[in-house]
Order: sequence, then C-alpha cells, then structure tokens
Amino acid sequence: MIELTNVERSYRTGPTETWVLRQVNLTIRPGEFVTVTGPSGAGKSSLLNVLAMLDDQWKGDFLFEGEAVQGMTRKQRADLARRRIGMVFQSYHLLDDLTVAENIDLPLSYKDIPRKERQALVADTLDRFNIVGKKDLYPSQLSGGQQQLVGIARAVIHRPSLLLADEPTGNLHSEQAKEIMDLFCKLNQEGATIVQVTHSKENAQFGSRILELRDGWVYSDTSAKRTAGVQS
Amino acid sequence: MTGTLLQDIRYSLRQLSKSPGFTLTAVMTLALGIGANAAIFTLVQGILLRSLPVKDPGQLYRVGDQDDCCVNGGYMNENGDFDLFSYDLYLHLRSSAPEFEQLAGMQSGQNSYSVRRGNAISKSLRAEYVTGNYFETLGIGPFMGRMLTENDDAAAATPVVVLSYEAWQSEFSGDGTMIGSTVTINGQALTVAGITPRGFFGDRISDRPPALWMPIQTEPLIAGPGTILHHQDSNWLYLLGRAKPGTNILALQSKLSIALRQWLATRPMYTDNGGSAELPKQHVVIVPGGGGIQNLQQETGTGLRMLMGLSAVVLLIACANIANLLLARGTARRSEISIRMALGAGRGRLIRQIITESILLSCIGGVASLAVAYAGSHMILSLAFPDARSMPIDGSPSLPVLGFAFLVSLVTGVLFGIAPAWLTSHAQPAEALRGSGGSGRSARDRSSLPQKVLVVVQVVLSLALLVSASLMSKSLANLEHMDFGIASSNRYVVHVDPAGAGYTMEKLPSLYHELESRFAAMPGVSGVGMALYSPLEGNNWGECVIPQGYPAPGPNSHCNSTWDRVNAHYLATIGVPMVRGREFTEQDTPTSLPVAMVNETFVKRFFPQGDPVGKHFGIDLPQYSSSFEIVGVFKDFKINNPREATRPVFMRPLTQYLTAYKEPPIIGGEVQSMFVNSLILRFNGPQQDVESLIRRTLAEVNPNLTVQDLRSLDAQVAGNFNQDRLIARLTTLFGILALVVASVGLYGVTSYFVARRTSEIGIRMALGATRNQVLQLIARGVVVQLGLGLLFGVPAAMLTGHFIVSQLYGVSAYDPVSLFSAAAVLAFCALVAGMIPARRAASIEPMQALRTE
Repeated sequence: MIELTNVERSYRTGPTETWVLRQVNLTIRPGEFVTVTGPSGAGKSSLLNVLAMLDDQWKGDFLFEGEAVQGMTRKQRADLARRRIGMVFQSYHLLDDLTVAENIDLPLSYKDIPRKERQALVADTLDRFNIVGKKDLYPSQLSGGQQQLVGIARAVIHRPSLLLADEPTGNLHSEQAKEIMDLFCKLNQEGATIVQVTHSKENAQFGSRILELRDGWVYSDTSAKRTAGVQS
Repeated sequence: MTGTLLQDIRYSLRQLSKSPGFTLTAVMTLALGIGANAAIFTLVQGILLRSLPVKDPGQLYRVGDQDDCCVNGGYMNENGDFDLFSYDLYLHLRSSAPEFEQLAGMQSGQNSYSVRRGNAISKSLRAEYVTGNYFETLGIGPFMGRMLTENDDAAAATPVVVLSYEAWQSEFSGDGTMIGSTVTINGQALTVAGITPRGFFGDRISDRPPALWMPIQTEPLIAGPGTILHHQDSNWLYLLGRAKPGTNILALQSKLSIALRQWLATRPMYTDNGGSAELPKQHVVIVPGGGGIQNLQQETGTGLRMLMGLSAVVLLIACANIANLLLARGTARRSEISIRMALGAGRGRLIRQIITESILLSCIGGVASLAVAYAGSHMILSLAFPDARSMPIDGSPSLPVLGFAFLVSLVTGVLFGIAPAWLTSHAQPAEALRGSGGSGRSARDRSSLPQKVLVVVQVVLSLALLVSASLMSKSLANLEHMDFGIASSNRYVVHVDPAGAGYTMEKLPSLYHELESRFAAMPGVSGVGMALYSPLEGNNWGECVIPQGYPAPGPNSHCNSTWDRVNAHYLATIGVPMVRGREFTEQDTPTSLPVAMVNETFVKRFFPQGDPVGKHFGIDLPQYSSSFEIVGVFKDFKINNPREATRPVFMRPLTQYLTAYKEPPIIGGEVQSMFVNSLILRFNGPQQDVESLIRRTLAEVNPNLTVQDLRSLDAQVAGNFNQDRLIARLTTLFGILALVVASVGLYGVTSYFVARRTSEIGIRMALGATRNQVLQLIARGVVVQLGLGLLFGVPAAMLTGHFIVSQLYGVSAYDPVSLFSAAAVLAFCALVAGMIPARRAASIEPMQALRTE
C-alpha cells in the first residue's frame, strides 16, 4: 500500500540543516496495524506528516497504492489524501462550535456528496461508534475519551484505506486509552490499514508491527526482523 | 488619584511605544480624521462663528437680514423684507431710532477704482462708500491720522479717504508720509485722512475686502453724472448700528418698520400703479450684527455645514477603525488583564486604564492632526476663494481651532475606547489564566462580533460618503458642462475702468474705436467684443421693461429684464447666434434709430404674439415705452447666474445714448452704462503670452487704462462653480479617505480573524478542505459583513442625499447610478481588502497550523 524509498526530510535554520528523517525505506501492506515509536525528536510525527501528505518538502520516492506521490502536484496530493486517508490527533482537534454530528460530517462536507447521503453516513457512523445520544452535544460537553471517539469517527467516516493516528491516547487516562486502542484493533480487523505514533509501550503492543525511529533513522522494524545500528 | 492617573499615562505610553506599528496606524488614522474636521472647523470658525474685530461686537445690530445687492429700485422681497436703503431713507430711519447710539450706512456692492498717487501707475483698488459715523459705530480708532467723522458727511467737506493697514503696506509700501497726501481716485483728488488698525477688514468677511473707505458725500464727485446718492428711490446701502444698552430690539424693529412704511408712503414709486396695496407688509428685520454683513455666511453656510457633517462621518469611520484595532489588541492582552484582575484590580480601574490609553492615543493623533488641518484649511481656502486678496481668514490653526481639535480628540478617545475597555475588562480571569480561554478552535469566533459590527458600521458610513461624493461630482459635472449658450474657448476677458483712467462721456467713442482697432490688429485676434459686463462674471443690470402702448406696470408685474450695452458684432464674438433679425452693426450710430436686441425669453415674456422684430419697448416709465426698436432676437444664453432659468435680456448698442430721459436716476443709469467694463477678445486658436500682449496694447492706448482683471472666458465661467468644485473635491476626498479607512478596517478584522482561526483552518485542511474551500470560508465572512454594510448603507446614503439635495444641480438625491457605482467601488475595495487575508488563510500549511496547537 505504501512504499517509501530513501525518504529524507530536513529543516533549514540559518546556515544549519537539521535532519528529521534519514534514508527511510518502508513498505506497509494493506491491513497492517503499524505502531511508530521512538523518543522525542526521533522523527515520528514528521514521518506521519509525510504519510498524511500534509508535508511535501521531503526527498525520495513515495508510492501510495501504486501511485508515485513525489510526482504529484500539491493539489493532486491533497485530493488523494482527502479520498484515501483519515487522521486522528492527540488533542482531538474538534471544532468547538460544531456539534458532534457536525464535526463528524466535516470531512464529507469537503467532498461532492449529496446532503442526504452525508446525513445517512453520519447516522451510520454515530450508530457504529455508539454515540447517537451525543450527536447534538458540543465537544466541551464530552470527556476526553468521548472527544477522541468523535475524532476517530470523523477520521473514518469517509472509509479511508489508511488511518493515521498521532498520539491518539496521549491525552487520555489508561482506561480510556485502552478503549480507543480496542477500537483501532476493531477497525483494523474490518480492513483499515492503521499507522499510529505513540510513546506508550503498552499501546504499541496493539499493533501488528512496531517501527522504532531514532534521530530520523529507522532503528528497528519488527516486520523486517532486523535491527539497524545507530548511524552517525 | 493624580498619582494613579500619572501611572496610567506612563503605563499607556509604554504600551504604545511597545507596538509602534499599531500606534503609527492609529495616530495616522486619527490625524486624518481629526485633521479633516479641524480644517473645516477653521473655515467655520473663520467665516460663520467669527465676530468683526471691533469694539463690543455684541452691541451691533444690522437693519435687514437678506443678502440683496447692489442697487435696487422698488419693492424688494415678496414678503416685504427691506434690507437695502437709499441715503435719504437711511437718514429718515436714523432720525427715527434714537435707540441706536450710532446707525451707519455702507455701500452694499463695493467697486474697484483706479487709484493713483502722484505720477505713479494707477492701481485698481476696492473701495466702499460709508457714512461719516461708520468707524465710530464700529468703535474703530485710527492706526495713523484720523478716521472719518460726521463732519465728512457735509457736502462741502474736503474729500478724504481712509486706507486699510493692509493696503497701506502692500500698495504703498507702508509709506509714513501717506497721511495728508493726495491720491487720485477716478480722476478726483482725495486726501488720505488716516489708516485703519491692522487686521480691520470692514463690515463683512469677503475674499476681497476694501482697501479704501470713502465718505458717502464723495460719491457724486467720483461717480459724476452716474451718482445715486440723492436718488431717493435707489436703494444701495446696508445699515449697521450700535444699540444703546438695554434696547428692546423687537420693539425697535417694529418702530423702524413703521418708519419705513411712513417714508415709502411718501414716494410715488411705491404708491403708484397699485403699489399702496403692498405697503402694509413692508418691514425691516433687525439681526445681531457682531459678525457683520452676513453675505459670505449666507452663500457658504449650507456648504460649510454640509462639509462639517461629512467630515464628522469620516471621523466616525476612523473611530470605528481604531476601536477595531483596540479590540484586537484587547483580545491579545486578555491574559494580562486577567492577571491584573486576579491581583485585585477592579473593573472601573481597568476601564480607566484602557480609556486613558485611548485618550492618550487620540491626543497624539490630535496633535498630528494640526498639520493636516493647517495644510487642509490652506488648500480649502485657495480652492474656495482663488481670487482672494488680503482675505481676512487665516488658514493657520487659531486658539479656538486648537481647542476644537483638543475637544474632538478627547471625545474621539472616549468614543473608540469605551467598547474595547468594556469588553476587555469583562474577561473571565480564571478562564484566561488557564490558557487560551478555550481550545482556540472556535469556528464562529464570537469574540470578534463587536469588530464585525464595527466593520459593518464603517461600510454603512463609507457608502453614505461615497454616494455623496458621487452626487456632488455629478452635480459639478452637470454645472460645468451645461449648455451656457456661449462659446468660451480661446476667448479672454479684460476688465478695464475708463472712468478711472479719466475718460469722460465725450471721449468714450474715440476710446472704444481705438481699443477695437488696436485689439483687432493683435496677432491671432478674430473678434473684439465690448460690453458693460461680460457673461457669467457675476454682474447684472436690470430695468423694468414696458412694451410700447402698455400702461405702467404694478408692483407685482415682474417687468424686470436684465440688460447690457455692447458693441457691434458682440454676440458673434461670444458665439451667440441670432434667431431672427440682425445683430448691431457699425450702422447703429448715435444719430440712427435707437435699437435693441432681445433674447428668446424676453420675447416670450413681453412679445408673445407675432414677430417681435420692429416692435418697440422702453424702460421704467410709460412715456419711454417706444424708446427702442427691436432689430434682432438672439438665442438664450447664461448671462448671470448659471443655476437660474434664463431671464429676459435686452441689449443696446454702445454707440447710442438716449437723451430723452428727464429723471435724474434714469439719466444716471444711462450715463453709467456708457462706460464699458469688459473687453472680450476672440482668438483663432490657443495663444501664448496673452497677458503681456494685452497689457502692452492697453498701455499703448493709455498707460492709465490699467487691467483690473484678466482671465480666459473659460476660467470666468468656471469661477461660478468654485464653491461647488470645493465641495465636490472635498466630498470626494472624504469618500476616498473613508474607503481607504474602511478597507483597512476590513483587512485588519479579517487578518485578525484568520490569525485566530489558524489552527481551525489547519484542522479543516488536514480533514480534506481544499484551499478554495478555505478561501470561501473566510470570504463568506467578508461578504456577509460587506452585504450587511451595503444593506444598511443604501438607506443611510439615501438619507445623506436628502440632506445635501440643496447643493445638487441636475441630479436626484436618490440617483441610482451614483448609488450603484459607489456600492460597486466599495464592494470591490472591500473584497480586495478581505481577500488578501483570505488568500493568506488558504496558503496556511496544515502541518504548521497543527503544530501551533
């Protein structure tokens, strides 16, 4: 599904160039549940941004479902992301003035989907995530776990083939975190490919594959059954 | 209290210096807003609110309240309001009103005269006939020499003249030997008795105040056979008196009205032909005279008040804009305010702190506005009075103007400071201290509601100003491009004063002949016109016309017709075609049949039946009704006020003096009309150096024949619209200012809105919103504010149109084209201003936006 070859990303601050991703080679197959771990500054979120196509300043080759992302225009990448990718954020990123239902509807509102169809999809999703009773509440009226549930519902409503989650349980206590991770497992079993970034070793175990980054390099990958030494 | 105030000021100064961009923008906006108001107020104060620089102006009263001018015969206004008086009537009223310590008479229409000292070249100076008690009435003593006294009213008194300080300085180089010396005025020797104090400009504010004051008894000497001093029915004086303390002015008004009617009842002119019926309603109105004769005030008052209103709107827009900036700052300072509140600051204390800052800001703006006011008022003065000479209005800010600017600054500061102060001081400290006061991902952003309301207010006011600007510009264009009925291009008007150069009636024919032949020989000249006065120069001679065989007209018969005396081929020179008959030719001589040409309106009014050519008419009295034979009818053209409907006009040849008249007033008018004042030269094409050519030619005829005024006929026509042009330009300037300020306001609010919604935009883009969709999201807000502004702006603009309708010509106050074009311009600028931050929002990198979380 995803094939990264020699992907590199750096930031230039004055004369200094800071590398956040170094020669990343990675293949993710459909249906995998990949956990990206590593210490702060290892490049986890940068990798996620590349995969989410929010970043286009990287170098290297990126094939998404057989399409070469590096050759696409910004607009083409945005179109592709809109159709195929869903995002879940650590701090939920729900819009305060929209109700639960309106927040979930948000990604659909950016597609050419008739209103009735959208309403049906929102109703299905609310039902699927057991939050029908909360559809008219505002984010501030929900607990952190409930907010993240809405965030995930919003991310998957358009049935993306890839679900990206950046520290999805970072703001939740352990019980809530477990519920969310169970939900991810369920979604994965239903066919979604998931890439999550987490600090938590406990939550990392929910994935079928663990990728560890250090200083921008792929330090370990349980799928590849290999461990690379830290390169300087 | 003083300590905390000083602390507030110190803190405010520190706050302002910390944000130089904000401070500069606010100060510039305020400087323009307050400066525009102060500039207009400089004129309002200088023209409308000013008292004459005389002793106890509050004691002065004018008998009469209209601005009639200059010599009038018969009843004056439809309602019987008398404001011009003959000399004899003045004496009668004066003797009837001992309640006046002094009652002075002064010439209503001042004239320019050729004044020469020794062998020096003549100067054209403005002079005014006044009664001997004029200076005593005003309480003005001499700077040098003596002022006029009642002794100068004696017929046998030595003719003297009083010189203004300004004329003494500018025309006679402040010569210390001036007192007692002789000057020649229109060929008559007068002794300089004294010089007025510096700054004294007479009994009225005008763009050309008198340089000389002459005793009324010198009028027969200087005017010669054209004198009107002792014509009991020629009304030409304004009256200004100093009332005794405690005088009941209303009772005095009734008393003088009775005296007026008594006097009129003795004059056949007012009683004959049914005139007695009009007598009961004749009256005078006594008005405060501390500001002098209010002619200029009456001419410019409406325009000035309108400009005052429009400049106040500009200031309101500026206030709304700065309130917006302060609201944005207030939001940014919410955590600081919260800390202050958490530390025990009361709301009142916080509001005072914020208001102090806004007042300080407005005072800095007020100081900067003085520069704008100085430049603005000078520009306005030069636009409004381009021909001004020694005008007694100073464009520099005076004490009242400084006070006005300070007051406006204070009010402005409070006005734009209150809303931000109130909103900021109502911050919830606990919420603010917890962080951003919420998640900061509000999609509606309720906190910016007051800002959006202020933008809507700015759009409403701007539309009103822009529509006013459009209406005034259209009105000016209508005035300037109306069909005046004359050809004005490549024509020059020269004003001369043959009487002042010493010419008598006998010498006039040879002078006119020489002028005509000399100017006709000038290179490029294709026509020479000579007239008592030229079209649209502001002069008008009128007479009561009586067609042959008709009885004497009654008092309400509307027999008046404008008339002018012109040379042969005059109409061809100014491009007016004949409709019937012929123009004057060289065959119209002093001994040939007395003839006249009339305009189409004259024919409609006096000869509606049959062919007017060959018919006869006369003036004033039935016995003269066959005086002139009509030889031609010319097309109507604008000879005096271009705004008015064309009046009946007749013209008589320069060569024909009617000797049949027996009545001195009519003879006086006949004599005076023989002295042409205007030469009109028609050139084949545009000319270089016309002025020196003309001056040289005139000097060759007679060095004393000085040029009183020289300008193109185009410029003379355009001069009729100086006030309209000023108002149109200023309104346009205000409109542009409003447009810029409102656009900046919308830009600022939208930018602020975008900045606050950066993370929301990032989330939306991360969830799939395209850049176009983000652009639409922001643009929607802009369009809503703009739409609401236009919605409320249309009735506001129509209301403004209703208020300025008296200033409009040929355009409706609700002109849809002006409304639509102003709305289109405003919408375009507002959309551009709103789209810049909207585009910025659309280019936000979602990754970066999310990172700011």
